[in-house]
Amino acid sequence: MEQTSVVRAALLVALAALSEAVLGPYLTFGWVSPKLTLLGIVFAVAPLRDLQAVLLGFFGGVLLDALGGGLFGVGSLSGLIAGILSARAGSVRPKGAERLLLAQVVAISVAAYDLTYLAALNLAGLAGPAFGDYAVLGLLPDALLNAVLAYLVGGWLLKIGYDRARASSWEER
Amino acid sequence: MGRRKSSTAGGLAALFILCVTSLVLFTIYVKEGEAGPLHTVQLGASEVLGPVRSAVAAAVEPFQEAGDRVESAFDNSEEEALRLKVQETQGLAGQASRLERENARLRELLKGERPFYEYGPLARVIAPVGDQFTHRIQIDVGTEDGIKPQMPVVVGENTLIGRTTEHVGRSKAEVMLVTDREFKAGVRIIPPAEFDPASGKLSPAVTAENTSYGEGLLGTNLEGYFGIEYVDLSSRAEKGDYVVTSGRAGTRQLLFPPGLFVGTVESVSSQDIDQYKKIVVEPAMNPDDIEEVRVITDWGPGLGFPG
Repeated sequence: MEQTSVVRAALLVALAALSEAVLGPYLTFGWVSPKLTLLGIVFAVAPLRDLQAVLLGFFGGVLLDALGGGLFGVGSLSGLIAGILSARAGSVRPKGAERLLLAQVVAISVAAYDLTYLAALNLAGLAGPAFGDYAVLGLLPDALLNAVLAYLVGGWLLKIGYDRARASSWEER
Repeated sequence: MGRRKSSTAGGLAALFILCVTSLVLFTIYVKEGEAGPLHTVQLGASEVLGPVRSAVAAAVEPFQEAGDRVESAFDNSEEEALRLKVQETQGLAGQASRLERENARLRELLKGERPFYEYGPLARVIAPVGDQFTHRIQIDVGTEDGIKPQMPVVVGENTLIGRTTEHVGRSKAEVMLVTDREFKAGVRIIPPAEFDPASGKLSPAVTAENTSYGEGLLGTNLEGYFGIEYVDLSSRAEKGDYVVTSGRAGTRQLLFPPGLFVGTVESVSSQDIDQYKKIVVEPAMNPDDIEEVRVITDWGPGLGFPG
């Protein structure tokens, strides 16, 4: 039962990474774009244990790196952050507010991704935007947009992740 | 309860190990060459995703067109409509002119006469690729067509839109557009009277020894605008001037042949404390309008600005 939910979570993460690689360029407006992979990771790994969440987050991040064509390592690091944050948030499970909590996790994960990418650009010696401009015009709207998106589609994503996992991994914790 | 603790400990250990792994991956990626394993993985993924991207691009196209129509429908004043009509007519005229030139060039090729530039086959834009920090597209030609990394990519005969990146597969190649933050090119600023963007022909006056046209580095700078850096305050540069590749920086040959049209000077400004002019450039092509491009695979030695 639990194995099925992990496989399902992995499929969800892979699908999200693939969607972002293909659809992302069409949905990018300046520095703002939907981070479907992070969104997928957060909602897919929330019902899982920490170890599973971290591994799946890394898997999703590496997929994003490979398919997206960006700086390798940035996606995997961000996937890890999203995975562990989601698993920790998932262990709280506030009744009726899971969607809101996970939307906040998405916002933090996206902000972490944006900051990591900016730092990586500078470390790689590539031209990146000025931090102030980017923080106001890129990072904040990006985090907000993705949080809203997460809140809107969260209910549906939670159903996929939780239905079977509830009966297994949550109770075993 | 014990199981949860062990899971948490295991999770933290895995988090630490995978964080280090991510940093190692990043370091390898930055340090490895274009033929390195991680770049190869991305290239392979890009090849595999090619058909999916083509399908999505075909599916998205009607929506993009509908979006454009809706956008123009909101600006429905008579003046705006007329302006659009004029633009459309100009676009059609430009397209007709381009087709005419294309026809003439193909005729030249058939006669065995080669222009200075050697082109790869006409390539279609498959889809945009990358993320919010990049302006890149994928085209449907690759190594099988003689395309290699870092080759100039043009629309028509000589309007530069970018260059190929290291992601060149057998049948697909990634193009870094001129507006990408990593794109740089040595350029010259030429008065409109002395350059014909359609043919790429320069007036002999440009080659005169006593002329001092602005010369600098084109790219998107740290302030975020697309423009030319390092243009001396004493150099000539005015609004409306054409920006063309110089093909060299000092005595060094650059990636691009000279004489490729890149855009038009939108504004020129400078303050007393500045060492260089601030020049903003409007690219010759809107990335959204690019459908077919050509890669310049080689160019003749007789091209260019005299020393």
